Amino acid sequence: MGAVTDDEVIRKRLLIDGDGAGDDRRINVLLKSFTKWCNSPATPEEGFTQHQRMHGTLAQCEFSMLKTLMVYDMNIREMENYEKIYSNIEENITSAHEKISECKKEIQRAKRIRKNRQEYDALAKVIQQHPDRHETLKQLEALDKELQQLSDIKENVDAKLELRKKQFHVLLSTIQELQQTLDKLPCHFPLDDDKLETDGNNQESPMENGE
Amino acid sequence: IGPCRLLHMSVFSQSFSPCGKFLAAGNNYGEIALFSLSAALGPDANELSQKPILTFTAHEGPVFSLLSTDSHLLSAGNGEISAWSWAELIKKNVKAAWTRRPNYKSSLEIPEINAMALNPADNSLAVGGGDNNVHIMDLENGAFKSVLQGHTDYIHCLSVRERASEVLSGGEDGAVRIWDTRTSQCVHCVEVYKYETCARPQHGKWISCLTTDSDWMLCGGGPSLSLWHLRSMSPTSVFPLSGCQRQATFYQDMILTVGEGQCVSHCLMGGEVKAQIPCTPHSINTLAINTNSTEHRVLTVGGSSDHIDVFTNLSYKAFSLRF
Repeated sequence: MGAVTDDEVIRKRLLIDGDGAGDDRRINVLLKSFTKWCNSPATPEEGFTQHQRMHGTLAQCEFSMLKTLMVYDMNIREMENYEKIYSNIEENITSAHEKISECKKEIQRAKRIRKNRQEYDALAKVIQQHPDRHETLKQLEALDKELQQLSDIKENVDAKLELRKKQFHVLLSTIQELQQTLDKLPCHFPLDDDKLETDGNNQESPMENGE
Repeated sequence: IGPCRLLHMSVFSQSFSPCGKFLAAGNNYGEIALFSLSAALGPDANELSQKPILTFTAHEGPVFSLLSTDSHLLSAGNGEISAWSWAELIKKNVKAAWTRRPNYKSSLEIPEINAMALNPADNSLAVGGGDNNVHIMDLENGAFKSVLQGHTDYIHCLSVRERASEVLSGGEDGAVRIWDTRTSQCVHCVEVYKYETCARPQHGKWISCLTTDSDWMLCGGGPSLSLWHLRSMSPTSVFPLSGCQRQATFYQDMILTVGEGQCVSHCLMGGEVKAQIPCTPHSINTLAINTNSTEHRVLTVGGSSDHIDVFTNLSYKAFSLRF
């Protein structure tokens, strides 16, 4: 495991700072100058300048370290942000899927409704071709009344006809009786108009009584 | 198959497998070809997947009608009905499960069978053809139960009205007869060509296209395609299509119809023609919708061509299967 981590470390270091320029070199230079400063028997001013220079390098290293830390923080925050956006999009996708299936169901329903409506229209067209029921009933009533009137008239006419028939029958039978009576009577007297009248009168009265 | 044969080929019938993954098509040479829909519709489909996975000669004469039950493919040709097991066909094992022939009066001339319809209520098969009669066969034992006589000319098409247990037949004599399956009597006889709104004397009086929705009936052929209300036996709408229609079907809220004319017509029940989608064959004989499968729900049409057009979306032709 030690070898693996070494490899990892070497790879990472090469990746970050492979060419030897930058922070790595600065740290090495600082270390070398520190050892040189510790061991050098130089004048106090030179030692002081060297000391200041080392502080400067140290400050540079710290500065660069701070920068890297901030970048690291920023990366973490960006990651969180992206995670949030990702989950948001996932939710949107699922809700869109649901909406799509809802809409599909709606379409099916709408198609069924449209089909029913068209069937209704088609039937209505056929029904419209037939005449209205009220109209037909009214016509029937009018025809019934006419029929009734006509049958009344027929009855009246029939009754009149019967009456006339009876009257004529009576008249004819009376005439026949008169004829018979006239034929039966012996003709004693000469045919005289006066006699005939009185006989006619005598014959009339019993007839009137008879009626 | 030689190019000359392909040129003269007509597809007369189609049927989807019960699983919805295969299409069987019958042509005028008596052959049935099996196409794999899952291969043709799959993401890696190519030229080869549009060719049949199996082609075999089923009958000596043209295969005018194909029908699928839950397990078998029934094919009608040359006066006989053969049944092929779908499971066996998918395994490319071509052997008919049974072959039966209705009782024809004359044994000299064998009348062709033009149409078959399945009545699921009593598991019977209605068969109509050249001898002017409709024969009812019981699928359980294979016996021919009854013969419905009444047509004076050969029968073009059959349809089953499930709710009322009736069979409708349309024939060359121009009559649509409605038969009660229980009593084998003709309940109604409608002579479509006698109605002024539908009649087209210049084309003739034959009825070649019949389908029913239990309450409504579509019939056409010589007369214009018309929608009839069965309870009142009156035509409610007449469709202004110029050619003679050969097959029509109700689909959702529309009516899809094919016939003479190089297109599939979409019509509404009110009588208007909503759209006419062009397709390859010049004259179309058969239209089928795969209702057995949800992911392979396609519309296929076949006619006077060796191409069978496949529509994945009703508005346009997606590709063609070739014999």
